[in-house]
Order: sequence, then C-alpha cells, then structure tokens
Amino acid sequence: MSFYAYHPDWPHHEAIQEQATRWQRRGLLTAGQLAAAQARFPLDFYRPHLFLRIGLFLFTTLGALAGAGFVGMMFQFNFLGTLIVSLIIGAVVLEMAIRGKRLYHSGADNALLYLELLGLVVLIFYFTYETLSSYPSPDPTPGTARLTVALLLTQAVLLLATLRYADRLVAVAAYLNGLLLLGNVLLLLPHGTLLLPFALCAASAAAYLWFTRQLQRPERLYYHRCLGLLRGLALGTAYLAVNYWAVREGNMALMAPEYHSYAFVAPQIPLAWLFCLLTATIPLFYLVQGLRRPDRTWLWLGLLTAAFSVFTLRYYRSLLPAETAATLAGAFFVALAVWATRYLHSARHGLTSAPDDAEDPQLDLESLVVAQTAHSAPAAATAGVQFGGGHSGGGGATGAY
Amino acid sequence: MSPESVLRALLDQQLLPPEQAALIRTDEAQRPFSLHHELRLLLYVGIVLLSGGLGVLIYQHLDDIGHGVVVAAIALLMLLSLGYAARHRQPFSWGEAAKAGFLPDYALLLGCLLFVTLETYLQVQYGLFGTRYGLATLLPALVFLPLAYRFDHRGVLAMGITALAAWVGVTIQPLSAFTTNDFWHSRLSTAAMLLGLGLMLAGLLSERYGRKAHFAFTYISLGSNLLLIAATVTLLDFTPGYGSFPPVLLVPLILLVCAALVWYARRTHSYLLLLMGVGYAYMAVTYTLVRFIAATDSGEAGFTLLLLYVPLSAAGVVWLFLNIKKILRLR
Repeated sequence: MSFYAYHPDWPHHEAIQEQATRWQRRGLLTAGQLAAAQARFPLDFYRPHLFLRIGLFLFTTLGALAGAGFVGMMFQFNFLGTLIVSLIIGAVVLEMAIRGKRLYHSGADNALLYLELLGLVVLIFYFTYETLSSYPSPDPTPGTARLTVALLLTQAVLLLATLRYADRLVAVAAYLNGLLLLGNVLLLLPHGTLLLPFALCAASAAAYLWFTRQLQRPERLYYHRCLGLLRGLALGTAYLAVNYWAVREGNMALMAPEYHSYAFVAPQIPLAWLFCLLTATIPLFYLVQGLRRPDRTWLWLGLLTAAFSVFTLRYYRSLLPAETAATLAGAFFVALAVWATRYLHSARHGLTSAPDDAEDPQLDLESLVVAQTAHSAPAAATAGVQFGGGHSGGGGATGAY
Repeated sequence: MSPESVLRALLDQQLLPPEQAALIRTDEAQRPFSLHHELRLLLYVGIVLLSGGLGVLIYQHLDDIGHGVVVAAIALLMLLSLGYAARHRQPFSWGEAAKAGFLPDYALLLGCLLFVTLETYLQVQYGLFGTRYGLATLLPALVFLPLAYRFDHRGVLAMGITALAAWVGVTIQPLSAFTTNDFWHSRLSTAAMLLGLGLMLAGLLSERYGRKAHFAFTYISLGSNLLLIAATVTLLDFTPGYGSFPPVLLVPLILLVCAALVWYARRTHSYLLLLMGVGYAYMAVTYTLVRFIAATDSGEAGFTLLLLYVPLSAAGVVWLFLNIKKILRLR
C-alpha cells in the first residue's frame, strides 16, 4: 500500500497536459503533437466538470451525514460509539472509493475527507476537554496548556492527512493550525503578547521560504497545488501578523474579559508607529517585488494587502467622504489601467498586457513539423496550426455549459 | 512541474523534435510576463468605484443638475453604445454569425441595460406609462428580442425572454404582487408553466429548423427552469389556490419535463441541463414518497423507510454522477 492516496502518475500527467495545452494555444505545438502527448500521458482518473463536483460534494455530504445518523440509531445515539464507528466506516469508504473509482479531488472524496477530519477534530477536543482532566472546562481559552495539547493532536492529524491526500483546503487548515499552535505556546510565556506579531511574521516568512524551496524540487510534484497555495497564504499571514488593525483588535480580544465591558474602542498599542509603517510599506514591497521578479503570487498578494491596508486606514481615519474617495480612486484606477494597457501593448521591461496564451505569430512551426518523425497519434480533426484563429466571445454572447 | 521537466518528458517519449524543444526553451526564457488579468481587474474595480461614486454624487446634487440633464445623458450614452454596436454589426444569417471582437458585444449589452435604466427613470420620475405596467414590461421584450436575433447575442436574448416573462406575469395577475404579496398565485403559476413550455418548444423548433440553432440552449434552459420552478412551488404550496393543478398532474408533469431534459442533455452533452433534470426529479420523487408515507399513516415503518431513503438516494445520485460520462455518452 502506497503512502500516497492518489496515484503519483496523476499529478504528473496532469501537469504535462496542462503545459502542453498552453504551448499548443501559444502555437508552439501542433494539434497533432498535443494529441500524441495526451495519448501518451492520459488522464485516467475521474474529476468532472465544476458543476458536477459541487453536486457530488453536496450529495456525498448529505449521504454521509444521513448514514452517520443511521449508525447513531444503531448505537442508541451514544456519542463516542456513533462518532468512532462512523469515522471508521467513512475512512474505509473513502479509501475504497478512491481506489475503485479512481477519484482525484472530484468532490466526493473531498467531502468524505473533510467530514472525516472534522470528526477527528471533534473527537480530539472531546478527549482533551471532557475526559483528560478531572474537572471539565467549558470553552478553550487561548494561552492554556490544555489548548496546546489539543492543537498538537489536531496538528498531527491535519499534517498526516495533507501528506497523504494533498488536499489544498486541508493543507491550509494544517498551516493555520500550526500558526495557532505557535501563538498559543507564545501566550504561555511572559511578554508573549508583545512577541506574538513578530514571531508569527517571522514564522510565516520562514514558511514561505521553505514552501518555495519545496516547490522547486521535482519529487514534490504530488504537493505542487498545495505548495503554490500555501506560498501565497504564508505571504498573507506574514502581512496580517503585523497589520495595525489586526494587532490592535487582536490585542483587545486577548485582554482580560472584564475589560470588554467598559471599553468601546480597542486601546492604543505599544510600538504603534512601527505597525503603521509596516502596514503601509509591506503592500508596496509585495507589489514592487511582484513586478520585478516577476511573480504572480507576490503581485496578487500585493493587491490584496493594499486593499486591506486601505481598509485599515479608513477604519481609524476617514480622510474623504466615501463617495468622493470612490470617484477619485475609480478615475485613477481606470486611467492607470488604460495607460498601462497601452504602454505595455508591446512588451517592455519583460512585462506585457497581452494574455498569457496569446499566439506568437513570429514562430514558424510548419518547417519544424516537416522534420518530425511520424507517430501513431490519434487522428485529430484539426489539421495543422491555426494562427490567428483565436475565438473570443464577450458579454455573455457565447459560452456553453 | 517546471516547463523544462515537461520538455524533457516529451523529448524522452520522442513526442517532439529537439529543434522545436530548443524553440520552446527560448520562448519560455524570453516570453514577457502577462499582466492581462491584473489590468482587467484594475479596470473593472475602477469602473465599479467610479460608477458607484458618481451615482451617489449625482444623487446628492440632483437639485443642482436637474432630471432633464440626467435623462439626456443616459439617452446619449445608450445611443452611443447601440450606435457603436450597429457600426460593427455582421451581416445577418440564420446560423451563428462571426464575431467582430468582444467590444461590440459589450456595447450592445450596455446599450440594452441603459435602455432599462432609462425606461425605469422615466417611469419613476415622470410616470411615462402611468399604470399600464403591461406596456412598460412588453416594450423591453419587443426591443430586445429583435436585437438579439439581428446582432446574434445570447445575453440580450435572455434579457428579452425575462422581459417577456415579466409581461406575462403582469398581464395575468395585475398588481397581485403589490396587493396580496402572493407572487405564485394559481393562475400565475399556470401561466408560467405554459410560457416555460412555449419557450422549450421554441428552443426545440429553432434547432429543428436551423433558425439560430445556437439559441436553443438559452430557450430550453430558461423555459424549463421557469416551468419546473412554477410546478414545484405549486406542488409544495400548503394552501393551493382555486383552479391550480393537483399533485396527481404536477408530479407526472415534472417527471416528464425532467426526462425530456435528460434526453436533450444526452443529445447535446450538457452538464447543466442534466443536473437540473436530476435535481428537480429527485425533489418530485422525494415529495411523492413523503406524501405517500404521510397518507398511509404507517408510523414506525414509514419513519424507517425515510431513514433508509435519504442515504440510499444520496448514494444513488453520487453513483449517477460518477458514471455520467457513460450516461452523457461522452468519450
């Protein structure tokens, strides 16, 4: 039995087909060559259209919950018995469905995996909060040893699930759980609250570097989709950890509960100038890096964090009436977008405003294809390369579902 | 997976000659980084902010500007959009016309949206149509449907069909929406079912006789949705109005339409229509089962039957989806 839940060939073939399709759309491969590559690296797993995946997810959830209810009826709704038996049955069904039906992130396996993990997390918290100690405590408080134990256990479960199933949502949950665990340990220390933003920021930055390095290793192909997402998420948490709004409101939330009763506004925080400075400069840094590298993850995180910084500013100070600000910003954005589109119409500084898969008419494939050896490729109906045949439809005028 | 390792995999299988691989390598190294989507997003956000901000500003200063100026500005913008679309129009054909690019399409859509805005403005401010709501709702349909056929635009077709449905609703049950707050009165739902049937028929006929055959999907999806929603709401109505269809008729009707949808989905390989067919049929069957259990008053046995039905039927639907390629006869 392999450690990977899904066959490692699947992500491999999928990556090759995606890249080959991109090249074909750009006019670097002929339709025949693409068909030959698709025949050689087939996608023999099941992942349907998005609509069907949503339908599969919903109906699997419904069926699994109803099934759990049925199990509960057999156990006279004993909590632990129902939960444990349901989890065992669910795990067996999940593994058999993946094996037998060759599911690969198809909605049904996602739903079963999430329900399974949700059940395990409930089980862990039940054990740590109800059975592990002599006196039950009603709700988890941050900065307690018991929450640390619970988070350690969930961390192990989520990490193992990520390693086996390479699911993106589970990977995100595992990463956030890790940050939560770190924050919780810090709160146990003296001066932990003061250290918290910087420690979380440093941990996120370190995680970003590690994810990036893993992404470059070919043997980590199984996790590429997870790592790509986690890389962006790490940049986001690095910013959020030192964002002025997050720090100030988070500080308020961590204060003793009796403080909340008479404080309406979160109190000022120490080192406020530093957090303000970081809130203002990090988005700019991301944007500049995104354009200089160039790297889409940095660029998008730059846009998102910039929007959040504007929110932070307007939360504490309103400089202009909202409608005036919106009009001015809108006019500026439109002007900037129009100017940049025209300026980058022909590529400059390694940037362009043309779509990524735009065909490049300078390449002459025909002469190369003549030299190509014959293949037993399936006869694709489209003959030769179609330059400039791109299809564009807009305004809801085209498109089939 | 890096482009280089994909290249190596393809080269190992001798799927492309080395010269072409070198060419691809050069292209990968020299290809500029595309900001296409980012710039479009920026433009979109800018337009949303600008139109929202301007709208509020105009509203605040309406007394200084005057309604006449606003109406004239909207009318001018509408004529400009429609004029631009008309200037770039393609020759008419009953088939799918070639596209002149995406800008004329968007211009036509904007013009039609501005037409609705203008009509609403005139009605609210000057009471242009008085209480003749039928005329006010029929007018967009009469404008949009010919435009959709002339400019070969499915979005405008959908807007025209929606206007038509509104006209039917207002004509059948004048003001019922305002007076009794009862949108789905029996006559209204019957009319909606008939209109849905007519739209589905129009779709099938346009495909059969090759008159804008690619409009068939819009007709059938909108028509069947209208019909099935109206039938389902009537079915689930606790206090059915006088003269509405009894469940004995409604359940077979829903199942029949769903079967037709599945048949059509198999012919056209459409996922959406198949999903709709399965979803509505599932609901009708579940309704029948619940009514049956309630009617026979079977107590414990009925409860157990229901308890078994939910997980088993969900499993059945999942099985259906997993084997959908065979059902839709895809490759």
